[in-house]
Amino acid sequence: MKPFTYEVADDLDSALTVLNNQRTLKAGGLDLVDRMKERIELPDTIVSIGGIDALRYIKEDGNTIRIGCLSTLADIGRSKMLAERFPAFHESAGGAATPQVREQATLGGNLCQRPRCWYFRSIDFDCLKKGGGTCYAIEGENRYHAVIGGGPCHIVHPSNCAPPLVAADAEFVIKSAKGERTVKAADFFKLPRESMYAENQLEEGEVLAEVVIPNVPTHSASVELREKQSFDWPMAMASAAKVNGQWRICLGAVAPIPWLSQPAMNVVGSSDITSELAAKAGEAAAEEAEPMAQNAYKVQLIKVAVKRALLIASGKQV
Amino acid sequence: MSYREDNHVAYENEAVRLDIREKVTGKAKYTTDYYPKDMLWAGYIRCPYGVGQLRSFDKDAALKVPGVLEVEITKREGAYAGDRMGHICAESRQAYEAGLAALNAQFRSGFAKTDPKMEMTPLDQIQQPDNLPQANKVLEDAAVVVEATYQTQVQTHCCLEPHIGMVDFKGDHATAWGSTQGTFSFRNDLAGTLGLNNSDVEFHCEYIGGGFGSKFGAGAEGTLAAQMSKKYKRPCRVGLSRKEEQLDSGNRPGSIQMAKIGATKDGKLLGGRVHIAGVVGPTGGGGGARNPSRYNFGTVATTHEDVHLNAGYPRAMRAPGHPQGVFGVEMMMEELAAKLGMDPLEFRLKNDPHENRREMLKVGAEMIGWNRRKPNGSSEGPIKRGLGVAVADWGNGPGGATVTVEVYPDGTVVALSGSQDIGTGFRTMLGDCVLHQMGLPRKFLKVKVGNSTLPPGPASGGSVTSRFVAPKALGAADQARQAILKLVAQEWQTDAAGLSIADGVIRNGSREMAWQQACRLITDDRLTFSSSEDGAFRTRPTDSDAVQFVEVEVDTETGIVRVIKVVALQDVGQPVNRHTVENQITGAVIQGLSFALFEDRTLDPTLGAMVNADMEYYKIAGPADVPKIVPVLWISRDDVSVNSLGEPPVIPTPGAIGCAVFNAIGAPVRQMPITPARVLEAIAGMEGGRA
Repeated sequence: MKPFTYEVADDLDSALTVLNNQRTLKAGGLDLVDRMKERIELPDTIVSIGGIDALRYIKEDGNTIRIGCLSTLADIGRSKMLAERFPAFHESAGGAATPQVREQATLGGNLCQRPRCWYFRSIDFDCLKKGGGTCYAIEGENRYHAVIGGGPCHIVHPSNCAPPLVAADAEFVIKSAKGERTVKAADFFKLPRESMYAENQLEEGEVLAEVVIPNVPTHSASVELREKQSFDWPMAMASAAKVNGQWRICLGAVAPIPWLSQPAMNVVGSSDITSELAAKAGEAAAEEAEPMAQNAYKVQLIKVAVKRALLIASGKQV
Repeated sequence: MSYREDNHVAYENEAVRLDIREKVTGKAKYTTDYYPKDMLWAGYIRCPYGVGQLRSFDKDAALKVPGVLEVEITKREGAYAGDRMGHICAESRQAYEAGLAALNAQFRSGFAKTDPKMEMTPLDQIQQPDNLPQANKVLEDAAVVVEATYQTQVQTHCCLEPHIGMVDFKGDHATAWGSTQGTFSFRNDLAGTLGLNNSDVEFHCEYIGGGFGSKFGAGAEGTLAAQMSKKYKRPCRVGLSRKEEQLDSGNRPGSIQMAKIGATKDGKLLGGRVHIAGVVGPTGGGGGARNPSRYNFGTVATTHEDVHLNAGYPRAMRAPGHPQGVFGVEMMMEELAAKLGMDPLEFRLKNDPHENRREMLKVGAEMIGWNRRKPNGSSEGPIKRGLGVAVADWGNGPGGATVTVEVYPDGTVVALSGSQDIGTGFRTMLGDCVLHQMGLPRKFLKVKVGNSTLPPGPASGGSVTSRFVAPKALGAADQARQAILKLVAQEWQTDAAGLSIADGVIRNGSREMAWQQACRLITDDRLTFSSSEDGAFRTRPTDSDAVQFVEVEVDTETGIVRVIKVVALQDVGQPVNRHTVENQITGAVIQGLSFALFEDRTLDPTLGAMVNADMEYYKIAGPADVPKIVPVLWISRDDVSVNSLGEPPVIPTPGAIGCAVFNAIGAPVRQMPITPARVLEAIAGMEGGRA
């Protein structure tokens, strides 16, 4: 790891004032420190915002929920309110990684973490996303890569908190020294063909500060399919949420962004879910898939994840 | 032949491992915890690719980094990712890492051999074995024949404590620390490098975080530490990063097992043809897989070839050649049983020559509820259950060690052995043997292990440590017990033969003397007893037979396999400490499960770099993946001495899981790890076959 200067911010405003391209923000540090150890990130100065309690809250106001982005995944896991009102999100955050990681990892960090693609994460591969000329996944080991929306880089978005938030039509509050703006969760994330070197629309000096769920879904569920049940990234996931009477379905771990599945949503609309309808939605979601040499199995997993998410959200047996 | 449900058949059935407090509080010091004054940090410059040609580097820039003392390039052509091209020695870890960055070594990647199937010799070009005609004849005579290829992946050791060596050279002697499973072999290697006599190197390895076969000699880490310490007359440490561990600390080689095996219609194995391709490093061998083994296979024509890849070398790993070989063996058995329409347990009972193990198979079947087993692929619904079984064994030959027992006038008993506790519980085993033989509670006991100044003992390889050391520990303890009884007998003016010790009290009829009081009769500083002989304490060893039954649940819509329960029957001879023996069995099952379902060294096919040289995508079973494991301490005979344990219980697990998955889904998954993708593929193949 390259030596660096470590600054601790007392509040967000002071952190935002000093934030520039020489300084890298650190919340939980789980993603950043890994990249620093592999020397794919070499910051001179780190500004720690992890200790700012003002951004660590979970508030319920009628049909709106507001979550500060420095809330840890464990905080979310401990929230009975979220468990009751927004199970799709509660289960994803509360069941991510390991208890130790969840105590340290923040919601903001989970949503903004860089891809877990093993070519991106290794200093030995000068891949597209690191400024090189090749996406090694195309001809290489692509079992965990994208089957939807890939190209020219084929990462999958790693956040398992993002799909339920996109499904719930959440909004993200972004702050900078200049002020704040609010964007739809679905618009926050960017495909590689739109933005090769960043996976979201945060600009220099901006911080993801708050997640707002303006209309808490009446029904919701997430299904994550993992090889391991402990400490593993999903091979595929689906979140289903009924918002204002309409079903929204978002896929995770299969595309470079949390992928709102329009074909699946067209199948279910506002209907009551039956096994047949849920299966049809799964089939529709999978229609967009274009697998590579080693990841065709993900197509089947998309079908199952969507079907089960809809059934669980509707309180039905999978 | 028997067992007890509570496993209370050990010398010590309640007390946990001796060093549990030190380990959970951090008081136990590992090599990495020592920071001698003026310590140097050295490490290797490594090739990033399967085939890498060092094109350019900036030695001057590296030497200009403050704190960098030495930069040495030793070769220009790398033959695997992680290959050592030279080294850097520096004043600090930061300086070492900054030097490595400033060196800016640039490599050109050549064509790396990464796919064993591409590199192996076609079967018809392999030198045919002499008994091939006989083997072909039995295949002609066979009522059923299974012809299949089984493949196992490369597994890395993933010791929790990375490889590390630290040496402090002082001219005519040296002190050194290291993480090793061979106190004396590590020390001897260091002495050789330092040009000292073995006796002039004091080597410490009091606590070790796992070895699994990858930590015998001083290795690249100890050697470089010794060279730099000698050169600069300062202590020097070389410790591998997790990435280096994955690339260059050894592995269990992969295997491709091509089998054609036949049996009679009433289920007697006749034999056939087995060819093994072992998947190894760029040169050398070590890719053997134990197929056929365990059952009476009859006439088998076997051949073997090591297939060389541009990837890290094999090193011994917990039962080298066995778990992968037995995966092939047990899958062959399962597929033959399916073709015969015979219960796979009955098929095994017919062909297993070990009487003891046949008994274990019957008892284990009861414990797992084998009568619940449904025909392959016939359980209802998308989530299917399956049962599987597999076997193993391990030999128990004798070997050398010395144990010393000291008794102090204050009652303290010290047990001494230079052998190392790699995490298995050797320290506990040694102490509990001594207490058992002396009739004392633990409060009097101190144990010292893992230091080259202590009495010699074996390296921990081949599951020998307990079996070599226990008889000597019992022998030395017996001498100590007799000596104290003699002192008390003199005091009581009676014959020592009538005296006994239990629970720290010496008795003769109604007379009693507490242990501490008896020890006050010692007039010297201490009494010292050593034993280097097995004598009466090694009695009629058995084989360390292993039988494991596994229940799995397979989600046939997703291909995800979950192991629900494992019943692991293990013959260990005389168990010493119940908790550590159960831990060894349970840990072996977890390691075997992890190998069967998850672990997979993955190479980029073009550059030959390992894409999962970490513990994130090199997937290892975590707590939620661990099933209910029921270790059963099997007693084959009451008069047996301490036998092997470390390796045998890791052997059957992958095979048993493979068989259980076959039973659940109705199709064999012949390649490990048994991933969702492979399970779905097997199911799809079956459906395609039906249509």
